[in-house]
Amino acid sequence: MIVLNDIHKHYGRVRANDGISLTLEPGRIYALVGENGAGKSTLMRILAGHTRPTSGQLTLNGETLSHLTPALAREKGVGMLYQDPLDFPAMPVWENFQLGAPKRSKREVVDIIGELSYRLDACFLPDEPVSSLTVGERQLLELLRLLDLGATTLILDEPTTGITPEQKQDLFDLLMKLAREEGHTIVLVTHKLSEAFEMADSIFIMRQGALVGTLTPPYDEKELVSLMFGEAADGEVEPLPELPADAGKPRLAMHDVLFAGPKYSMGGLNFTARPGECIGLAGLDGSGQELFLRGLCGLDRMPGGSFDLDGVNHASNNFAGLRKAGVQFVPADRLALALFPGLNLMEHITLAFPDRHGDLTEFYHSQCVDKFNLQAHPDTHAVELSGGNQQRLLLSLIPDETKLLLMEHPTRGLDAGSARQVWNHLKRRCAEGATLIFFSPDLEEVLEHSHRVIVFYDRAMAAVVEGEDISMEVVGALMAGKRYDELKEAEA
Amino acid sequence: MNRESLLTQTGWLILALLLALALTVIVALPTGAPPFETIYVLFQGSLSSWSKVGRVLAGWVPLTLCSAGLLIPFTARLWNIGVEGQVIMGAIFCTAALRPFDDGGSAGVIALALAASAAGGAFWALLAGLLRVFGRVHEIFSGLGLNFVALGVTLWLIFGPWKRPGVASMSGTEPLDISLWLPRLANMSVSWVGLALAVAALALVYILLHRTKWGLKLRAVGENPKAATLFSLGPRRRLLQAFMFCGGLAGLAGAVQVLGVYHRLLPNISSGYGYTALLVSMMASFRLSLVPFICLFFAILNVGSIQLPLQLGLDSSLSGVIQGIMVLSLFIVQGLRLWLKQRKEAD
Repeated sequence: MIVLNDIHKHYGRVRANDGISLTLEPGRIYALVGENGAGKSTLMRILAGHTRPTSGQLTLNGETLSHLTPALAREKGVGMLYQDPLDFPAMPVWENFQLGAPKRSKREVVDIIGELSYRLDACFLPDEPVSSLTVGERQLLELLRLLDLGATTLILDEPTTGITPEQKQDLFDLLMKLAREEGHTIVLVTHKLSEAFEMADSIFIMRQGALVGTLTPPYDEKELVSLMFGEAADGEVEPLPELPADAGKPRLAMHDVLFAGPKYSMGGLNFTARPGECIGLAGLDGSGQELFLRGLCGLDRMPGGSFDLDGVNHASNNFAGLRKAGVQFVPADRLALALFPGLNLMEHITLAFPDRHGDLTEFYHSQCVDKFNLQAHPDTHAVELSGGNQQRLLLSLIPDETKLLLMEHPTRGLDAGSARQVWNHLKRRCAEGATLIFFSPDLEEVLEHSHRVIVFYDRAMAAVVEGEDISMEVVGALMAGKRYDELKEAEA
Repeated sequence: MNRESLLTQTGWLILALLLALALTVIVALPTGAPPFETIYVLFQGSLSSWSKVGRVLAGWVPLTLCSAGLLIPFTARLWNIGVEGQVIMGAIFCTAALRPFDDGGSAGVIALALAASAAGGAFWALLAGLLRVFGRVHEIFSGLGLNFVALGVTLWLIFGPWKRPGVASMSGTEPLDISLWLPRLANMSVSWVGLALAVAALALVYILLHRTKWGLKLRAVGENPKAATLFSLGPRRRLLQAFMFCGGLAGLAGAVQVLGVYHRLLPNISSGYGYTALLVSMMASFRLSLVPFICLFFAILNVGSIQLPLQLGLDSSLSGVIQGIMVLSLFIVQGLRLWLKQRKEAD
């Protein structure tokens, strides 16, 4: 049994954890939910020994400690599975498995992997490099490694990001088995309520660093949502704008386009998009959706084919030229790719609108404050902004006359309220005639906000899905490599 | 760090100086040098007469030209360590431009020589820039390499094609005609042309970096080259421009050495001012307002060190040791400040 008592963790003025007490019992599955930045990960990192709490005690099996170290946590049987698997892709499976374990020969390690795999219905080739595994398999390997190290309390941080619905089901079955049959404690950190409802024996809800409630079945979704978001739960997401009936000239028409990225290329792309359409891209990491966006805006090469943009043919995809023609690309990693950390807001505006001269104060106000409610002084550096404000800044830097907006994960790291604002803004742009093509690792987001969904599998366009077919089942199956025509047949 | 009051800033500076003094004593004692007298001689030897002040200023000019120039590539987060070679190349181009005029010439010829030297420095910097932008060779390696190449070229010219009739020696090429020397300021060994160039360089760098969109874009490129691509800021072109600008100023420093100080091309024409300028820029933490003062300080140490062997029978390289200690203590104190600040924040 693990008891956390009055855990505080402060970063400067920010209280990531503010007096949290909770108890974890063996054989049970817990879900820790809360929106981004609620303090879930901090709390779990404290439990796994990666972060030292400012104050508070942890009691593990009767022993009270002020903090843990990673080694101590391992000794006490606490293992954490991170969102991005912490493994060494260049090394083979068995070496990754052996890391951190007492000295053993390769044969012993291979035997143990075989034994554990058999017990848990997994399959690994010991000599295969980890880089050739899928994210789901890497997670599973990490899980096996933790179990081998003697972990009895398993913390999984957003384990379903980047895996297919099928892999998710396998993982959940496995967790259920570990808890029910072997008496392990499972903590599932997630911001997806459906997963919590499906799995958890009780749900801890965090908001703004505090534990605001513990629910047990039967769950009341309304109560949970209001606990999780507070007042922000109110407010509506606008529906997708209606598409104009007349077809008119297509916004984008791709003719046998071939894109070549640094890692792979993708050819034979034919696709047409209309003005005002929201098009979502679905696919596992590295299935081709990133290259599709980066190629369209000219960041990756286009060695073959051509595309029409509002009837103008482009045989080459020059970034600056396309940008002038109204194509804008917004990457997911804001600080690393899209903003200048040490420059202030006004300087960003100056750089983004080079054609405007003279005093930009008024323009700044209309662009950032009035349109996006970006409440920050123009002298604030981009690095000091919260994730939500960074996204607002990025959106305010996109000129109004943009015709084709290409976005990677538009709501990455945003809380529910900010995410809703972002979507409402994007939909308004579409209603005014812009075309949006975006992808998100959160499949629900893709399904909710798309007129049509392009599914990528194995570095190719697998299918374009519309209407009734935009559902978890169909898109999920396509993402996992099922063929669209076979799915249709099975349905009929 | 920039937002602290002047008083605390000065306080930390005094602490750094005290630390430097303590370290100097520790270093000086085993060599048998009387520490306080050594420091006294260093300063007295460079400020006690107008002609000495003139020599200090003559050192200040190339140092300031290089240090001000270095701020521009640094704004784009580039370490133009090749500045030393760019000074040498400026001197070579300057001498080359004057070779047809061994009977002397007018002010126009001097202007031509200055322009040639700026072009030479910029050309040498462009090589490092091209290697960086298109060849992915880090500018520290290419710059250092090009420094040695530039030195080799000087030696080859002095002992080969440009040697004095009959003798080839370390004393350099045939002296320039006196009409091509930079005019002196009163009786001092510094030229007003050089001083004007240095002051103009400071002003120019200030305006470029803080008052133009070019400076803002350059800062943006330094902050995040990937985002600069997304904003269509042309990062490659801008990096090359930054290199060339710095190289041009360094080339001018080389010209001042040739036209105003030595009046010929020497193997040691740069006097190591390029490397010293790197120290100055680091010590100023790349703040332009501090550059002229730190340059002056280094120039004083340089000139004063000549007095060490004369008055105390010590080797003049002790001055270099003291310079190094100064810079190190400043960094130690800065590190200490940062550490204290972080600890305060952690609490």
